[in-house]
Amino acid sequence: MTGLLGPNGSGKSTFIKAVLGLVHVDSGTGTVLGKLWPKQVKSIRDQIGYLPEDDCYILGLQGVESVQMMARLSGLPTTEALRRAHEVLDFCDVGQERYRNVETYSTGMRQKLKFAQALVHDPQLIILDEPTTGLDPTQREEFLDRIHALAHRFEKSILLSTHILHDVQQVCDQVIILVRGQVRLVDSIANMQRPIQSGIQVRVVRDAVRLATTLRNHGLTVHCDSDTELLVEGETSVITKTIWAASKEQSVLVERMDEARNSLEHSFLEIVREKNYAYT
Amino acid sequence: MPILDLGYRKWTGNRSREWMRWSVVARTGISLVWRGTWLKRFLLFASFPAVVTMFGVGLFEQSTRDEGYRMMFNQFLASRIEPVGPRNRARERSRDGFRNRQPIIPVSADPATQRHLAWSHMLLWYFRYPQALWIVVVIGLVAPRLISYDLRSRGYLLYLSRPLSPSSYVFGKACVLFFLLAMITTFPAIAVYSFGLLLSNDSAAFLQTWDIPFRILLSTAVLVLPTSAIALAFSSLTQESRFAAFAWFAVWIVGWVTYLVLTGSAMFNADDLVVLQQRWLLISPYHVLGHLQEEIFGLLPENQHQTAPWILCGAVSLVGFGVARWRVARMLKF
Repeated sequence: MTGLLGPNGSGKSTFIKAVLGLVHVDSGTGTVLGKLWPKQVKSIRDQIGYLPEDDCYILGLQGVESVQMMARLSGLPTTEALRRAHEVLDFCDVGQERYRNVETYSTGMRQKLKFAQALVHDPQLIILDEPTTGLDPTQREEFLDRIHALAHRFEKSILLSTHILHDVQQVCDQVIILVRGQVRLVDSIANMQRPIQSGIQVRVVRDAVRLATTLRNHGLTVHCDSDTELLVEGETSVITKTIWAASKEQSVLVERMDEARNSLEHSFLEIVREKNYAYT
Repeated sequence: MPILDLGYRKWTGNRSREWMRWSVVARTGISLVWRGTWLKRFLLFASFPAVVTMFGVGLFEQSTRDEGYRMMFNQFLASRIEPVGPRNRARERSRDGFRNRQPIIPVSADPATQRHLAWSHMLLWYFRYPQALWIVVVIGLVAPRLISYDLRSRGYLLYLSRPLSPSSYVFGKACVLFFLLAMITTFPAIAVYSFGLLLSNDSAAFLQTWDIPFRILLSTAVLVLPTSAIALAFSSLTQESRFAAFAWFAVWIVGWVTYLVLTGSAMFNADDLVVLQQRWLLISPYHVLGHLQEEIFGLLPENQHQTAPWILCGAVSLVGFGVARWRVARMLKF
């Protein structure tokens, strides 16, 4: 399961459309699902489920008809397409709304519908372009759970294109970062999130600067970016006691302590700003 | 909470061939337009002229056996083919104009020998007058939204994310129009022909008229291809179907009116009329199609054969479908 990250205009959607053969590509060849790209792009499309970023639907069709039509476009027989459409809509948690015309759907419902359309022909590779846009937090969590289940229980290859880092962190194993149409990083999420140095990220209610001064007096290296956040370097087990002692001494209320990590967000911003990473 | 949730399940089965997937576009389009009750009413009304034509064929077959029906049939046919008016009176007065036309007096001493001519006349009337009007109306109501709705709702992305090329997408959409036009022209015309065969007691009827079904098919193709191409091109050029509908009707009305104005100067001079009609024929889609149908049914005078209408018909079809395909392919870039 791979996350495709990049700022707006970095070429994520164009890359996906190029894989699907929807836009003309000047040069280059490759292999997708064992088929030659772009020569066998139609066969490739047959094996891919695509959830487009755009709000797209066929005016006048009911939800279930819309999914059935997509199944038939993928070659399923009519009756089987209808059966499969109901099955996938159940999986996507679309209830009786499936009998309503799609133009009356809310944004969240349309995302579910597009997801069902992407899955209905049981593709090997599922490409999701901004799938959680317009979903409320509960729907988003459920959506990500479904994506996770498809990847891990049903062994689907999934390419998740988004600029929401949390989604990638939550469900992806790999991450690709695109900037201005170029791949700037390919790495695993585990690597991206490993600690860059041992230390503790401390959040206090206020007076972080005063606490930092006290910790420095105890011989620790402290980075203080604001009046509520500071990063204390050192072995976690050793410095924790010192931090507690210093907060007690200065009467500073500690709100939260986390092991310091090179967060995906941090890495992403670094790459986009071209500070740390060279082209890989 | 569901009582039973099977979750996601894998699917294995045989899929249809990729090159047949355009049929899904066509079937979906037909199913969508078929939901409109107004369309069913239009198709019902559009079948009435077929009943009139069947009546004519029945009358002709009756006249082959009963002399009393012959005069009645002649009057019926003349009123269908050549409506009385100043233009036709002018032709009658002319030296060559009307004489060059096929005689509309098929039922003479031996009516059975004139069967092919009589049936062709009646089918030409059917194609040329009532059904041409129905075609303009039905296409004008259905075609404008076929592609423009998809452009507006970006539905084309759904179609083209599956093994479907822009060409097969456009072909699928065109098939919606082919189906409707076949409902208006081909099927009723074939029914008229079959009705004629059934009513005829003459075993030679089939041998005399075996080519008429092929002429019907060719006539349908000549009607359907350029009209569908123009309508789809208009539909693909805008996201507002009303603009496409306006352009569609404008082409027919402006062409027709211009043609009538340009040939109107020869109202009372049949020599000039024929020359002017041939000169300005290409301006009016309606008259171009009528000219081709006359030729297809073998009712065009020898000296009026032209290649230009055929070339125009082919060129309009190619350009129309080309524009629609280009627009759909171009939309994918955005």
